Amino acid sequence: MNRTRAFLKKTAWSLFTIIFVIILNFFLFRVLPGDPARAGIRDPRLKKEAIEMLRVRFGLDKPVINCFESLNPIEVGSCAINPLDTQFFIYVRNLMQGELGISYHTNRPVADILAERLWNTVLLIGAGQILSIVFGVVFGIFAAWKARTSVDYAAVTTSLIAWSLPTFWLGIILLFWGSTHGFPLAGKATPGMSSMPLLQQWGDIARHMFLPTLTYTIVYMGEYTLIMRSSLMDVLSEDYILTAKAKGLSTFQILKDHALKNAMLPLVTVIAINLGFTVAGAIQIEAVFSWPGLGSAIYEAVVRRDFPILQGAFLLIAVAVILANLIADLTYNFLDPRVQTE
Amino acid sequence: MKTRFLFIIIVTVSLILSACGGGGGGAATVRVGWAGSPDTLNPGMAILVEAYTIFELVYDSMYELNLDGSFTLTLAESVEVSDDGLVYTYKIRDGIKWHDGKPLTAEDIAFTYNLYKDTPEYPYLNGYYTPYFDSIKADGNNVILTLTEAIPNIESQLVFLYVLPKHIWEKVDKLEFENFEMVGSGPFKMAEYVQNEFVRLTANKDHFSSPPKVDEVVFQTFENQDALVQAIKTGQLDMVTEMPNTAAETLRAEDNIEVVVGAPLAPGVTDIIFNQVAPENCPTDAGGLCTGHPALRDRDVRLAMAHATDKQKLIDLILLGLGNSGLTLIPDGLGVWYNDALKDYEFDVATANQILDDAGYKDTDNDGVREMPDGTQPLNFRLNWPSDSINAPRMAELLSEMWAKIGITLELQAVDPDALTAQCCPAFDFDIMIWGWASDPDPSALLYVYTTEAIPSGSSETGYSNPAYDELYAEQQTTLDFDARKDIVWEMQKIVHDDVVYIIPFYDANVQAYRTDRFTGWITDQAKVELSDVTSLIVIEPVK
Repeated sequence: MNRTRAFLKKTAWSLFTIIFVIILNFFLFRVLPGDPARAGIRDPRLKKEAIEMLRVRFGLDKPVINCFESLNPIEVGSCAINPLDTQFFIYVRNLMQGELGISYHTNRPVADILAERLWNTVLLIGAGQILSIVFGVVFGIFAAWKARTSVDYAAVTTSLIAWSLPTFWLGIILLFWGSTHGFPLAGKATPGMSSMPLLQQWGDIARHMFLPTLTYTIVYMGEYTLIMRSSLMDVLSEDYILTAKAKGLSTFQILKDHALKNAMLPLVTVIAINLGFTVAGAIQIEAVFSWPGLGSAIYEAVVRRDFPILQGAFLLIAVAVILANLIADLTYNFLDPRVQTE
Repeated sequence: MKTRFLFIIIVTVSLILSACGGGGGGAATVRVGWAGSPDTLNPGMAILVEAYTIFELVYDSMYELNLDGSFTLTLAESVEVSDDGLVYTYKIRDGIKWHDGKPLTAEDIAFTYNLYKDTPEYPYLNGYYTPYFDSIKADGNNVILTLTEAIPNIESQLVFLYVLPKHIWEKVDKLEFENFEMVGSGPFKMAEYVQNEFVRLTANKDHFSSPPKVDEVVFQTFENQDALVQAIKTGQLDMVTEMPNTAAETLRAEDNIEVVVGAPLAPGVTDIIFNQVAPENCPTDAGGLCTGHPALRDRDVRLAMAHATDKQKLIDLILLGLGNSGLTLIPDGLGVWYNDALKDYEFDVATANQILDDAGYKDTDNDGVREMPDGTQPLNFRLNWPSDSINAPRMAELLSEMWAKIGITLELQAVDPDALTAQCCPAFDFDIMIWGWASDPDPSALLYVYTTEAIPSGSSETGYSNPAYDELYAEQQTTLDFDARKDIVWEMQKIVHDDVVYIIPFYDANVQAYRTDRFTGWITDQAKVELSDVTSLIVIEPVK
């Protein structure tokens, strides 16, 4: 009973947040200066009619919402119009039907573009996350286990350096190194690979992923190592660990059966939050290695004032982060019974 | 749990290892690196130059634009023009085939031209190229094009109107169609397109006039220009279409790399814009605010600033020497249209100061800044530039130093490009701006920018108005004789140069590089340099 209510409450809050994001998302881009129908086209012979046609096609000729023709510059319009014929309600209605609109810049449905990009980002960041979690946890355990020895100091120093490295800088260094070792420097696949056997295609993608994944892994591994280490050291100083030692259990048994599960709690939080941001991609890594992910899509859309793409991408990220947090909350309930009773 | 992770790592590593050594195979593939990607492959909707590069390779049009600025008939074997210059009859070659094997006929061409003409949503191909089209008909082997008025530059109207297959385009939504499988008739066929990653084209060895000697061309998108330079250095690319000027020196030092510099296919102009709109010309109906500094309406002030501008220094410091000093909006890359007889204003600070002294702009309060002749306002100008420009901030600093020597100070500020457009035209809410243009093969478009008519339409950035110039503009638009038209175009450049409407610091250069150990025959000796143009890609051969 209690558990269901907590679940419902959290889900309701998440839904509320998403609705808020949808509304904010719309108005955020409407208060920016400039006319998206003119961005990218500045040409003396371009007829006014052509620009007007573009505005009609993208629905920019309609008032933003009742009482406002446009928000920047603020132009007051008639309030007595059919609200369903304003940009805002058309946007909401399309969203309800699962339509994210058409990209101004590429003239393609936003949903198609985001789907392609999302998959690429999940692939890259997913691999990076898994590797950095595995290595981070292992190194963190080692460091905590061998606390205050040279192993520990080496691990902490390396982690701190790795964590504080600027991602783009590390990326460029690795790119220069990789270029002399035969690693591809851009894209996700070698052109022409699509006709090759599947295994060879995967191998090609793996080769393209190597450098960006390595960059991502090095940076995030540092974070996970430090969190795992400090959390595990906290747990190891608890009384029940002393008891376990007194019972004559081996260090391995203590770590495995008694310490690790409790020490994982803070890590789960960080992982969940990071997974939410996974969708946003690592803009810097994607830019350095020309990885065609969501991060670079967002960057391009900002440059080109491609509002439909930005709205779609922001919504996607918001939903991902909210979902990840919801899942983290629920996992917490499961991992730690204390949370639930509060 | 742990064993599963281990499994993933092992699979990943083995995949990487198995892929090492895999690659292109025996085909002669030209790998081109560029920093962009086509926005769309629907020719009607495309805006970016990358899209046009692909269209040039995959489609044919009535004329081919050569790198020296001349045109060659391609799809038609001959053309007849009626005496009044209104009716063009093109006799289409026999035996041309689309990439899917169907024959290309006069029907297709007439269909395409009508498609462009009847689709006002197509920003360029309709509004830009078809305004003189009255009717287009196919008659057997002939395409009969009737114009609303006789014009001298039909070639430049038709050159970018890519001919599309009727059997495909009559069935699709002409606005939404993504055209990823592009069926054309050009020297290259679309093989594979992944947006923002690469475009892979295979050679159309059966092309009627220019079958390529290579087998494949791949355009790979690089978002990071350092990676682009590194990729050609290490041999992952055979050619790069752009790079930072700073990289040119490094690449020149490499053994197997040749760097080429020249005017781009669409020659670019960087301009310093003076708001000189006269109060009576202020387009208040179109939103004109006209807040420009009154001194900039005085030719003497602009002339003094031109004398005080060290263009060579700007070119050396900003472009690292890779650019040519400019005169008017008509760049040297336009070949015959460029008036090379004009003499630029000599860089001479003393002359500049003398001009301002004589015109009555004196520094009355001895603060180092001159005042208006009536003593009211100091010569302190706002200088703005689009915030996405790489070169403009440095140029602003340098101009600020140069013009300080003649008692003119600047307030420097970068502005978001869209906000700058709003400030610019037709609002005229600025003093001086740094911006630029890219030119058509025909000079008409940029000549229009100087006309009085362009002030309310938002194309005129300066507000310059000169009835004599306007008359010449109208005259050149209907002068059919090439030499007579050229003389008028030259005269127009002389007028705007004499009036110091702009200061043109330089014409931008295209900086490209290719590897000498992979393909030979790149065309580099023309007025314009564009290695990714069809002219180069059909003649290059693999190095034996």
